[in-house]
This record gives sequence, structure tokens and C-alpha cells, in this order.
Amino acid sequence: MQLTVLLVGALALGAGLPTPQASDAPLTPRERAVHLLSRFSFGHRPGEVARVLEIGEEAWIEEQLERGPVGPAALSKALARLETLEMTPSQVQRHVELELPADPTREQRAERNRRRAVPKYELMAAVLLRAVYADRQLEEVMCDFWRNHFNVSYTKTYPAELYITEYERVVIQEHALGEFSAMLSASAHHPAMMHYLDNHLSTRPPSSSQLAEIERRVRQETGSRERGEEAAAIAAQRGLNENYARELLELHTLGVDRTYRQKDVVAVAEALTGWGISQQRGRGLGFYFDPNRHIEGDKKFIGYVLRRDKSGGPGQGERILEILCRHNDTADFIATKLVRYLVHDEPPAGLVKDVAQVFKKTEGEVRALVREVLESDEFWERENYRAKFKTPHEFLMSALRATGAEVTDMGGLLKALHAMGQPVYHCDDPTGWYDTADAWLDPGVMAKRWEIALLLAANKLEGVEIPASFYGEISEEVTPLQWMRGMVDKVLPGGASTRTLAMLHEVVRENTGKGDRPDLRKLGPEVLGLLLGSPEFQEQ
Amino acid sequence: MKHELTRRSILRGATTLGLAAPAAALGWPLFQDDRAKLPRSLVVIYLRGGADFLNMVVPRQERVYELTRPGIAITEEQAVPLDSHWALHPALAPLKPLFEEEVFVPVVCTGSPHATRSHFDAQDFMNYAAPGDRTVHDGWVNRFLTATAGEGDQEFRAVGMQGLLPTALRGEFPVLAVPDNFESRRSDRVLDHFEKFYGADGKRRRDEEEDGESGEMGGSMDREPEEGIDVVQSGKVTIETLRRFKEIVTRAGDDDHGYPNTRLGKGLRRIAQVLLSGEGLEVAGIDVGGWDHHANQGGVQGAHAILLRNVATSLAAFRKHMGAAFSSTQVMVMTEFGRTVLENGSGGTDHGHGSGMFLLGGGLKGGEVHGDWTGLRTDRLYQGRDLPVHWDFRDVFYTVLREHLDFKAPKGFFPDHRPKRLKLFA
Repeated sequence: MQLTVLLVGALALGAGLPTPQASDAPLTPRERAVHLLSRFSFGHRPGEVARVLEIGEEAWIEEQLERGPVGPAALSKALARLETLEMTPSQVQRHVELELPADPTREQRAERNRRRAVPKYELMAAVLLRAVYADRQLEEVMCDFWRNHFNVSYTKTYPAELYITEYERVVIQEHALGEFSAMLSASAHHPAMMHYLDNHLSTRPPSSSQLAEIERRVRQETGSRERGEEAAAIAAQRGLNENYARELLELHTLGVDRTYRQKDVVAVAEALTGWGISQQRGRGLGFYFDPNRHIEGDKKFIGYVLRRDKSGGPGQGERILEILCRHNDTADFIATKLVRYLVHDEPPAGLVKDVAQVFKKTEGEVRALVREVLESDEFWERENYRAKFKTPHEFLMSALRATGAEVTDMGGLLKALHAMGQPVYHCDDPTGWYDTADAWLDPGVMAKRWEIALLLAANKLEGVEIPASFYGEISEEVTPLQWMRGMVDKVLPGGASTRTLAMLHEVVRENTGKGDRPDLRKLGPEVLGLLLGSPEFQEQ
Repeated sequence: MKHELTRRSILRGATTLGLAAPAAALGWPLFQDDRAKLPRSLVVIYLRGGADFLNMVVPRQERVYELTRPGIAITEEQAVPLDSHWALHPALAPLKPLFEEEVFVPVVCTGSPHATRSHFDAQDFMNYAAPGDRTVHDGWVNRFLTATAGEGDQEFRAVGMQGLLPTALRGEFPVLAVPDNFESRRSDRVLDHFEKFYGADGKRRRDEEEDGESGEMGGSMDREPEEGIDVVQSGKVTIETLRRFKEIVTRAGDDDHGYPNTRLGKGLRRIAQVLLSGEGLEVAGIDVGGWDHHANQGGVQGAHAILLRNVATSLAAFRKHMGAAFSSTQVMVMTEFGRTVLENGSGGTDHGHGSGMFLLGGGLKGGEVHGDWTGLRTDRLYQGRDLPVHWDFRDVFYTVLREHLDFKAPKGFFPDHRPKRLKLFA
């Protein structure tokens, strides 16, 4: 009974209620703007939907696809304060390493660990700051996609902290809107990826003279010729580490179980032996090919014969990367993942095919792939509108953007992301974080999200402040319910359900005494917290 | 609708969850004597990353074992013997008394018939109990829950002790994911706050949809329940079940049973508390990550040993905590595959094939190590490098479901597989 009254009240205001649409009706211009911003940015900023409507979708897209500086001066200034952000691995190492005595005290060890963590926190901060404040949002969204595609993780532990700062810069940011082949190559050569998937450890097995030595020793020790031979046979197999080779095929290019077999994985692993991380300080921590650790000779890989690199360099591995980039399976695999990320958890088959075609035609030019999605009919279909569940990362970034929050310290945000299970560059599994509702939405998981919504709205998330101006005012001209409608418009520009409106209405009424205006310092955060935790805000 | 969100049906299903007060819900733990009468339950512990079973249950008679693993082998002097053939890694020593008590049996050379050495495939294949079949996307434990779901189901029929559910528990039947801070006071306040938003009139909304009407306010947002309802229902279930869960563990109190202060230790303690409360918990799951030791695995000490010690002390504490009721439960410890017999060049082991499992609980045919063993000679290994699979893990699942939970998996439960009953139970 009460609900009906409330609903009528909310309806009478017309608060945020979209006009009823048939399920196959085209999106309205406002819905299109909301859709565009929800998928190609980390969510709308205050006033941004209106701006897209004003300048037009195409102008917004062109703006986003242009090359240019990262964004507002305040962001550049905040990034400039992070001192390790532009460093190479060697520079990071010099910056954080502490010479410890042979028998360090507990305090000395703690200090060393604290220093080692600095580049990690700075890089995580930078990624979050960009996602929230960068003008060039489409690029940030694509960085997020590629970060998960070419996942590396701090959970691999030290010295990942030395490498990932540069990895973000020269692998992810450099190529996020560039060429897939260049990104693949950059990732394959980078110490962060080698360390994460152990490729720098993979090496040629012992030489025949070393094997003879093993055989002789075991034969002497055991007095058994058979045992000696067995030991040598076993030792001959040691050295190769297939970890990177397998994920290169399965997760970075072809997709699992297509085309390749175990012997192909071995061939790739062998071709990539000798790829390592230079350790000498003079040379710097970077890619280094060691011919002495390389398994020489021709190799067969998915129907190709790979000749040995006559110059004694890493050419055989490079050749594999080229083959992989041009392979049709790679085009299909990347297209499927991209359309799933940008359009729908169950990617429309027609669009996947079109994007794969563009991948083949352009040899993986990311801008062209993105354009293909944006210019497709499928992207704009109503069934894709608000059809994706925000990942924890997307949820938090969009909340900060929608509220115009000011971030002065990253501690609270990083904690929040850890608590929701998705801190940047901390995904153990080489798959990266999944971006589908299936992976995140179980009974129980909403609890954490609500907690963070309430903390954020109450300015209790450490280092984050929502400006008082965000709440506007209730005055002679603006009734409490009109104020509420304005809040809904700000946070949910695509509109709210009648149920959500009714609940908000009730909260506003409870806070409005007879003839008194409600206190916005109390009501504002309460309504905002509910909006950020509402079902509608979890969708994009 | 073409792009129906797949979890909608689950959350729909959640509304049929009985909210009737369970037998023992009136506030008191069961008396000791009643505990053995608890319903049968299953606890699934998943070791993510491919645990190196060969260093967990060591074949004492295989002289080649130490040769193949010069840096990481558990030597005869170091190992904790179970019988003349088998010994435990010393970090697993807390399980030896359970072996002697005949409530713990290791099973060797179990695994998947599928050749994949990809973690992600192998984990999915195992958790879905459908090797090689990429069309199956529900967990095998969830299939059991779905197949045996009934009107009288308890709220706590199934829980995952982590913020995101273990894969084997995900699927059509609603399983509660318990976030790690669910015990805090702040968490209470949060639930109160969103109660009406997600819960209070949830029933009304659903009724409208089931009638095929969008209600009098049929705006477009109200007419797209396919997307919206997922979140709303998930929220509602979250509030109701977390509250009950917290009530139960608060009531139970925290006796010390020797649980380590780890996520697994804390999780198993909560599971034991809810099992002992008599609220009808049947299935619980928890994942333990970090088993992918490609480098610096260590032997008696080191990375692998630390993880093993956590598992062993947690399980031993769980056994103690459960007391007589331990016989009503079955704990399964599993991993996606074993690792190469050979130590690699970086003091670790690579992805292999055959592995093993632990079973702990009532009714087992105890006192022995189960499974077939064919030795470590190269020509007896899978592709000359890995432990072979002699027992399909699906047969172990089938046997536990049948013998312990009295559930005979129907045809199709394990797609394209006719399961065998193994001699694991007395």
C-alpha cells in the first residue's frame, strides 16, 4: 500500500523515469550517450552526458581516438609526484635497493621491504588516477583490456616490483591503441613478462660432456651402469620451462586447443630459450639474448619449419611471434574477447566476425578494431544497453567519476579494491581478471560493494573526498523531491527503476520534518550511498 | 532473449529457498550425542595451481625418485612413513594420526583423461567434471545440489568461504559466498542500510514478473528484469543469508582447536561451526592458491612445505573440532593436475598430468593408500614425463556422492562418462 503511494509520488515528479520503450526500440539519444560513456570510458563525469549530446557522438569518439596528452593539468601534476613512474627497471632498482649487511636486523629487512613496495604502490596509484581523471578515457579503457590480456602480477613477488612500472609504460600504454603485433612483441621481450611466466629460467639442457660427467658420477656412486645412464637421460630433459610458451599460445594469441599441440608448445619453448633478463648493472635490467642457453636447430611449429637464426640471435622466437600475429585463430580470439569486453558477456557472433575481419585486414590495428565496434549496429542495440555487470574495478572508478570525487591519497582506494578482489596488477592467473557477470556476481559479493558505496558517500574512504558542491541545495526553488531527482540524474543518467525511486523518496521523506528542510549534510551522503549501491549503478 | 544473463535462473532459484526455521535454529548448539546424527556433508578444498602430489605422498620404494629431484626430493630419512610403500611430506605430519585413525586416505594417480596442461582448462574441466567439454559451465558440486534441491532446503545448504565462489560450487543452485569481513559490525550496518533497497518488497516485484506483467509503473527500467533482476536478487540473498550466517557463528563461540591463523584455517573453523549448529549445511568449499611451483619449490622447507603445513594443521584442527560428527562429513582435497616427475632447471616442477587426492571423514576404507601405482620408470610415465592417471577423478567424485551422500549420479551428470564405483569406502 505504502509502496504504491510512494511510487505515485515519485512518478508525479517524473523523476528520472525514461519513457517506456519496446525491447527492440532503438536507443534514445540520451541512452546512446549513456551507453557510449559506460563502455568507452570508466563512466560519466558530472555534466558529461549533456556534453556528448551537445557535441555529438562522433565528435566525442574522434576526440577520444586522437593522440594527445593524458588529460587535465591536475592529473599530470599528480602523476609527476610519483617519483618512480617514469623509471626503467635499473633505475627503480637503484632507487629502492638497500645494501643490507650479511645478517640484517628485523628493522633493516622491514625497511628494505617497505622501499621495494614503493614502485608498486606508485604504479597502482597512477593507473587508478588515470582511469578516474584522464580525458582520454577510451585509451584508459583499452589499457584495462590489454592489462588483463597480457596479465603480469605483483603476486609473483619480488623483483616484479622492479619491472612492472616500465611494462605498463612501454607495453600497455604505448600500444593500447596501436598495433597488436608491437604489443605482443614488447610483452614477450619485457622482463616483467619473463619473470611472471618464467621464460628467463628456461634454458638449454646440459651439454653432452656435462651429461657424460653426470653419468660417470652416478655410476661411480651407485656402482650401477644402468642407474648412471638413467640419471643422464633424466638430466638431458632438464632446463626447459614451458610456462610462457603455453600461455603465449593459449592466452595471448591463438586461444586454447586450437591448432596447436603439446609438441608445438615444446617447439615454442625451445625457440624462446636464451631469452632472458640481463643482470649486469652496466647493461641495465632489460631484454638479453644468451646464445649459450639457446636450443639451436630447426623446429617445427603448427606446420611451419623454423630455420635456425644464422646470426646467432633470437630470430627464431621473433619469427614465432610474427606467425602468431598473422594467424586467423588469433584474430578470432582477440575479436571475441574484445567484443565481450565492450559489448556483451555473450558476444554477438556477427560482430565478432566483423571485428576479426578487420583484425586480419589491418594486422591487428587496435584503433580500427575499436572503430568497427563503434560503427556497428550491434553495439547500439537495446539488448546490449546496461547489459554488463561492472567489475569491482569498474564499479569503483565509475563511482569516483560520477561523484566528481577528489583523490588525495590512494590508500583507501587500494584497500577497497583488495577487499573486492580486484586490485590492479594483482591477478595471480595469467588469464587476467574476467570481465563477465558470471565471474563476479554471486550471493554475498554485493556486501563489500555496498560497504564501499556508503564509505565513499560519507567521505570515509581514506584519501577520497566528494566536494560539498556535488550535493547542490534544497531551497525555496528546489523542493526535496526535485533535489532527489537531480541526484538521480547525476548518478544514474540512464534513469532509475520505480522501486529505487520509491525507496529514495522514502528516505527523503524520513529526513524532512514538518515544514523543515532536510539537512543535506546528512541526507546528501545517505542518498548518494544508496544510489551508488543501487542495482542500476552496478550495470553498465 | 538472445543474451540472457546466465545467472538469472540461479537467483530466481534462490527465491524458492525455504526460510522456515531449521530444527536447531532456536539458539543452542546441538548436544554432543546429536552431532553424529547430523546430515551428511561434503567439504571441497581446491588447491589451485597444480599441487605437486609426488612430494606430498612420497613413494618410498622408488629409488629413481630422489635422482629425478636432486634439489627438492623428500628423502627416506625426512619423510613420515605411512606404510612400507608410502610416506608423507614432513609438513603433512599432522595428518598421520588421522591416517592411523582410518579417517584419512590419500588416493594416488588420480586425474583427468584429458591431456591439457593448462591450469585454466584443467581447473574448469575438473570443477565442471567434464574434461574436454567446453559446453559445460556449472560446477559438479552445484549439479549435485541442483539435482537434489527440494522445498525444504535450508538457507545454508551450501557456502563458499571466500568472497568469490569456488568454481565447483557455482551454477544454478544458489550458493552463498561469504566475504572475509562478514563478522565485523560495519558489515551489519551495511546490510541494514540496503535491506529495503534490495530486500523488503522483493517478493512483489518477482510476482509481477512471473505473471508476465510489468506492473502499473511499466517504465523501461522496470521492463528489463533480465538484466536488473540479477543484481536485485543477488543483493536480497546476500542480505538474508549473511545475517543468518553471522548469527550462527556468533552463537558457536571460538574454542581453540589448533587452527592456524590462515584463510583456510579460519574458513574451516567457520564451516565446522555451521555444520555443528545443525542448520543443515551440506556443502562447503574453499580454494587455496599458490601451488604452481615452476621455480624454487623447496623440499622439506620452502614454499611448497609452507603451503602443506597450512593444509595439514587446518585439517587436523577441523577433525578435532568436529569430534564425533566428523563421521558425518567428507573432506575432499584436490588439484587440477600433478607436476612433472622431473625437477626442472629452476628448482621447480612444470605442469604434469596425474596427481592425487585426499579424502577425510567417515566411512572410508582406511589404513591404506588407495589408487594404482605403476612406478616411476620413464616408460611407465605419461608421455615419459608425468605421473599417469589410473583413476579418473570423476570416478572418485561419483563414489563419494554415492557412498557418502547416497546420491547416485544419473546418466549425463558426468557428460560422456560412465562412472565406476571405486573401493574407497568400507
